[in-house]
Order: sequence, then structure tokens, then C-alpha cells
Amino acid sequence: MESTLISLLHGFSVALQPDNLWYAFIGCLVGTLVGVLPGIGPLSGISILLPVTFGLNATQAVIMLAGIYYGSQYGGSTTSILMRIPGEASSVMTCIDGNAMAKKGRAGAALCIAAVGSWIAGTFGIIMLTLIAPPLATIALRFGPPEYTALLVLGLIFLAYMSSTSLVRTLLMACIGLMLGMIGIDNMTGHFRYSFGLAELGDGIGIVPVAVGLFGLGEILATPSHKVVGEVIAPKLRELLPSRQEWREASMPIARGSVLGFIIGIIPGSAHIISSFLSYALEKRISKRPEEFGKGAVAGVAGPEAANNSASTGAFVPMLALGIPTGPITAVLIGALMIHGVPAGPQLVSDHPDVFWGFVASMYVGNLMLLALNLPLVGLFVSLLRIPYAYLYPLIIMFCVIGVYEVSHSIVDVWIMLIMGVFGYALRKFNFDPAPLVLGLVIAPIFEQSLRQSLIMSNGNYLIFFSRPISLGLVIVSIGLLALSALAFVLNRKDWRTKLAEAEVGKTP
Amino acid sequence: MDRRSFVIGTTASAAALAASPAFAQETFPSHAITIVNAFPPGGANDLVTRPLASALEQTIRQPVVVETKAGAGGQVGAQVAASAKPDGYTLLSHNNGISGYAEVDKLFDRQPKTTRADFIPLARLIADPVLLLVNSQQPYTTVKDFIDDAKKRPEAIVYSSGGLYGATHLPVALFEKATGVPKLRHLPTNGGGPAITALLGNNAQASTQTVSATLQHVKSGKLRALASFGATRSKALPDVPTLKELGYNVEYYLWVGIFAPKGTPPQIVSTLSTAIDKAANTDAFKSAIANLGLDIGYLNAKDFAAFWDADAKRADDAVKTIGRVQG
Repeated sequence: MESTLISLLHGFSVALQPDNLWYAFIGCLVGTLVGVLPGIGPLSGISILLPVTFGLNATQAVIMLAGIYYGSQYGGSTTSILMRIPGEASSVMTCIDGNAMAKKGRAGAALCIAAVGSWIAGTFGIIMLTLIAPPLATIALRFGPPEYTALLVLGLIFLAYMSSTSLVRTLLMACIGLMLGMIGIDNMTGHFRYSFGLAELGDGIGIVPVAVGLFGLGEILATPSHKVVGEVIAPKLRELLPSRQEWREASMPIARGSVLGFIIGIIPGSAHIISSFLSYALEKRISKRPEEFGKGAVAGVAGPEAANNSASTGAFVPMLALGIPTGPITAVLIGALMIHGVPAGPQLVSDHPDVFWGFVASMYVGNLMLLALNLPLVGLFVSLLRIPYAYLYPLIIMFCVIGVYEVSHSIVDVWIMLIMGVFGYALRKFNFDPAPLVLGLVIAPIFEQSLRQSLIMSNGNYLIFFSRPISLGLVIVSIGLLALSALAFVLNRKDWRTKLAEAEVGKTP
Repeated sequence: MDRRSFVIGTTASAAALAASPAFAQETFPSHAITIVNAFPPGGANDLVTRPLASALEQTIRQPVVVETKAGAGGQVGAQVAASAKPDGYTLLSHNNGISGYAEVDKLFDRQPKTTRADFIPLARLIADPVLLLVNSQQPYTTVKDFIDDAKKRPEAIVYSSGGLYGATHLPVALFEKATGVPKLRHLPTNGGGPAITALLGNNAQASTQTVSATLQHVKSGKLRALASFGATRSKALPDVPTLKELGYNVEYYLWVGIFAPKGTPPQIVSTLSTAIDKAANTDAFKSAIANLGLDIGYLNAKDFAAFWDADAKRADDAVKTIGRVQG
């Protein structure tokens, strides 16, 4: 503990050197921009800037590139809240309640809560990273295919809490999402499924084009059909800040989101994407007023935003402690370190303490910088909403097209986005919520793969899910949740979903 | 304007138009060159191609842009490059995968999207030998232990790969064929990183992965390298025997090469290969590769073409050995 503190102080002495501060700042600034521009994700930002770091030393390079990564997690919420366009998969959930808050004139409050929540979660993540990285990393390694399967089963059960419409509609959307997730090469046999001869569909349908199409484009297409209330939301400076009530509603979700996000973030693989989905579902599950979700609930912004930031920090645990990439972004960071002759892995802390502790300390500093960068920008971003729709929306469509193309340089992705935009329009008209569809799309490929991998490992024996402690624990939680719902059904208690369904029936003529 | 001057003028401008492509060829390159990288950022292709691109900018005196077109195990990028205009301004960075697609497609009665004939090899940049690795919790310390146990318990040992018919799946098939062990149980994942993670977590007991990707874990004792698929022992791991030494005729490398699309004019091909040759011999490129823990396996266009022929035969052979997987 004491030695950790001394090492960390040494790290700060590295991170606070003027040139290192400068590179952290550049990274955070680029990250914020990358996050704000819809579609242009941190992955393309980092790989484009990778050659620029060839002239720097390893510490500077990793400080700057990591700044882009966690900086983009801050910026990602901006377009979600203001325009309902998720910059990346992890900000899908912020779209729903963040944008609803913006429509109620609380855009500034939503942005502030997202920024502060991100800062708290980011800092929490780094403290955990500093204190318990090595033991946690060993647990992360135990997370094999069976544990993944159990986690995703839990995720699927949480689906019921995802949506602001009735259970039937939610499950219908989820099924469409799961089916879309089947598209692509079957990893186990090499067959192409539903790819229609397009090599681009071999890796399946991307989450970003679908999310941008369903949420962003669908919203824009729907605008002309309802009466636009001509008034522009022009909040006063004082109204930009969240009220005391809103802070109170945000505090516990931020705390829970931070812990949940960090735990999910350290799991190798693509689990970090579902952290914001799970946090949203969790908040809705334990909320006293679940019917408010989807209509501008503060907790629906605070929880998921905290979770995705804390997950992005958690992703550094296996990367730094074991040299294992948790996803494509950490893979690029490991590559960047290797190009500078610093192999990431168990020896990183002992062989290159300057790099390791300098990097960790720079994240404390970087998170503060991001808060300082983002809070003053809130006013500026909100004033974007003053631009009349006639000018703003064509611009947004342009950014969506460029952004989606930029993710994997694929014109097929742009078509997917456009088709999903039309589909999203139809869903809005018929009052379906697209969020469960996106979650289904995220879960399907990972779920299928890990289930089949587990069965390969056990030679077809399903008991593998009960014989490993972590997966057994997750299965028990799943069963418990199902039992609770069954109990409510048996006792014939109406919960909010039944009420919603009844309201829907009542509404339809 | 009378008729004569009209005719002369037209002929002259036609001649000028006809001449201009020839002129452009002489001054190749006149604008930026794009190298299509068929694999995602962070992988070996990306890490090797980017330093090459920056070294190439110096030797060819034009900007060199790396554009990622990843997907479908590298097929998307290969297809993009194959259908690009063969004018030398679009090149392809690819690896072993480029050899086996046609054979895999044949297996599934599919029309191959690209074949080897669609590309002109320009240079091989690296060749990273593959290691036979086991998790250190496993009892095996020699290849013989491993083979004996595999024979005793067929289909019981699980090995991870980065994907079906991929660059880390094929060497296992070659190994099985050469040593005569019955099939090991295959755990496909989606990429080299996840395959190593599965091995580190002991969810798979064995795997064939490159020296550069696993050196850290071998040194820290989490993984044990039983043998190398290289022709000679790796400098980084001099104690690990090669399979050839042990009497098994297997050789396998993960290599990264640069290609031009079929139909690129010969002068341009030779300009490019000369420039790549110079770039690959710069200190900047060499030190970048050394930092990655890779041995430079540079081969010029001619040697690479010969190597590629031999290597593609090995890949085809391995794909046939694996056959169609029953799912």
C-alpha cells in the first residue's frame, strides 16, 4: 500500500512534466472532438494518430493515445443527448433519457450530469486500477466462454427492463436484434449466413450503423411529420446547471454505474459494450418510478454514462497487468507501446515503472482536464440546438454518413445505416423502442460464440455452466430474477409493464 | 479555321492525349499512394505496415496512406485491392490468409472472390515463426509428452485459434498430419488476442501462436513453448527446439506481404519494389520491427514470389486436411 503510494507519487512527477501534460491535453482534446463527432470513433482517431507518436517516447505516446480513448467516452454523450445520435455503441442508452431531458429543456443539466458522472466514474476506475490491478487481472483471466455465456443470459433477462414500452414489444424488438446478429460468417464452421454474397457482411452487421440509423436518422426522418413547435430552447445560464433535486437523483446511479462498469470493463472481450445497457436496466429495475424511464429520467443518463467511463478504465487492467487486449482499442494501445519497445505485460510495472505509473497518474490529470474542457463547452453545445431544424438536420445527416463510413471504410455500412433509418422511422410511428434491438444485436454474436465454445470445452456437457464458480454465481442471479418475476405473476400483482400494456391497448382505437 | 488546321490540331491533341498516360507512367508516382490494410488496427499487419508506410514516403517521395479495410478474415481488403485500378496507387498489405481463401471456397462450393492470380507479390516484410504453446498448468514439457498424451486421449486436448482456416489454425493441421496424432479439439475464437487469452486462462490447453505475440507470456512463465515451426531456432527463445530438429517436416510462419493488383504495368511494379526495398532497409523501419520483437523476414519481389508459391501449397494442404467442419 505504502509502496503503491510512493510509486504513484513518482508517476505524478512524470505525468506533471510540462511536455507530458501537453500530450495528455492534446489527447483529451482530440478525444473530446472524436467523441462529439458522430460516428468517428476512438479507434479510427487513435490509429490515425499512431504514426504521429513515432517521434515521441513511449510514455508520451501512451499518455496521448489513452487520452483520446477515455476522452472520447466523455464526448460521446454530447450528440446522444442533443441530437439522439449515439457516437458509439456505449452511448446508445444515453440517447433515450438524455434526449428526452433535452426536449424538456434540460439539455444543459443532462450534459453536466454526464460530464460529472463520467469524471467520478473515471476517477473511481483509476483508483481501483492503482490499488488492485494485479489480483483483479487474474480474475479477469478466469472469465472464459462459460462465464461469458452466463453473463449474457443475465443480460438477456435484464432486457425486460430495457424498454419504455410493453414487454411484448420489447421482446419483439429484441428478437429482431438477435436475428440481425446472426448475419455473417459462422465462426465455428466457416459458413456464410445471410450475407447475399457480400464479403462486407461476413463480419456481421455493425452496431454503429444500426444505432445511428435507428436513433439518429429515424428521429430526423420523423421530425417533419409531427408539428415542430417553432420555439427554440434557449436556456439561461442558471438553467444549464442541474438542480439540487437532479443531483440527488443522479448520485446513487453514478455510484452504482461506476462499480458495475469497472467490473464489466476488466472482462476481456467485448463485454464493456453491455456495461451501459446493464446499468440502465439495473437503474430501471430498482427505481421506484420505472415508468419515468424513457421520458427523461436523470438516473437513465447518470448510470449508463458512469458505467461506460468506468468500463473504459477497467479495460486497462488486463491490458497493463497481463498484456491482454480487452478490445480493438486496447489492442492498438498495446501495439503502440510495442512499437516504442515497451512490451505490455506482467513485466511492465517492474521493467518500465516510468511508463506504467506515469500513464496511471496522467489519467487522474487527464480526467480533471476533461471535466474542465467539457463543462464550459456545455453552453456552447446547447446553443447548437438554436440552429433551425432546416439547417441543422441536413448537416446531421451528412455527419452521420461520413461518420458511419469512417468506422470501417465501408459503403455497405452506410447503406445499412440508411435502411435502418427508414426502419427506425417506422418503429417510431408504431411506437416501438429500438434500444432492445440494439442490445440484441450486441449480444447475439457473443452469446452464440461463447455458448458454442463452452460446449466445445465440455464436449457437449451443459453442466459446465454449473461447475465453474463465477458462471454458477451468474446463473443463480439469473434464476433469482426470474423467480422474482414469476412470484409477482403468481401473486397477480400488476407492475409497471402490465400497466403500460394496458395503457397501450386503451390508446389504440 | 480551315480544314487542314482542324485536322492537324485534332491529330496533335489526340497524340498529346495518347501520350499523356505514357508520360504519367514515367513520372510515377505523381500523387499519394494508398496501402489497403486488410486487418484491424493493433494486429501484426497494422503494426508492420504503418512503419513501412512512413519509411516508404521517404524513398518514393509521395505521401503513403494506410487505409484499413478489415473484415471477413481479410477477404474484404483483398477484394477492395483486387478491384482497384491497377495503376500502382493502390497496394495491399496482407498475410498468409490471402493464400487459402480459394481453397476454402472450393471446400464450400463457393465461387472464390479473389485468388492468388489477382495479385502481384511485391515484398515480404516479416516472417514470424509460430510456436506450439501450452498453458503452464499443463504437465507437458516436451513435444513428445504432448504427442503421447494426444494419442492416448484423442480429441481431449483443446487448442484455441484465431479463427477457422485462419493463420493460427492451419499450423495445427500441419502438425497433426506430420506427427500422426489424432485430431485435437478445436476452440475457434475471433482473433489472435482472444485465442491467447483463452490459452492464458487455461480454457484451451494448447495453441499455435507467433513468437512476437506470446514472448511476454513465455518469459513470465504463464505459457510454455514446446516447439517452434521455424526453420531455425528463434533468437528470442534459443532453448525451444524446432519441429524440423525433432524430425517432423513442418514449417510455418505468419508473414506480412505487400501486393499490387493484377494488371499493374511492369515499370510501375519495378519502381514500387525498388522503393519498398530501400524503405525496408532503412534504420527507422528495422528498429520499429525489432521493437515489435519480430525478426525481419524481408524478401524482395522475386524471392517472395517463390516463397509464396511454396507457402500457398502448405496452406492448401492444411485446408484440405481440416476439410469441412461439421457444426
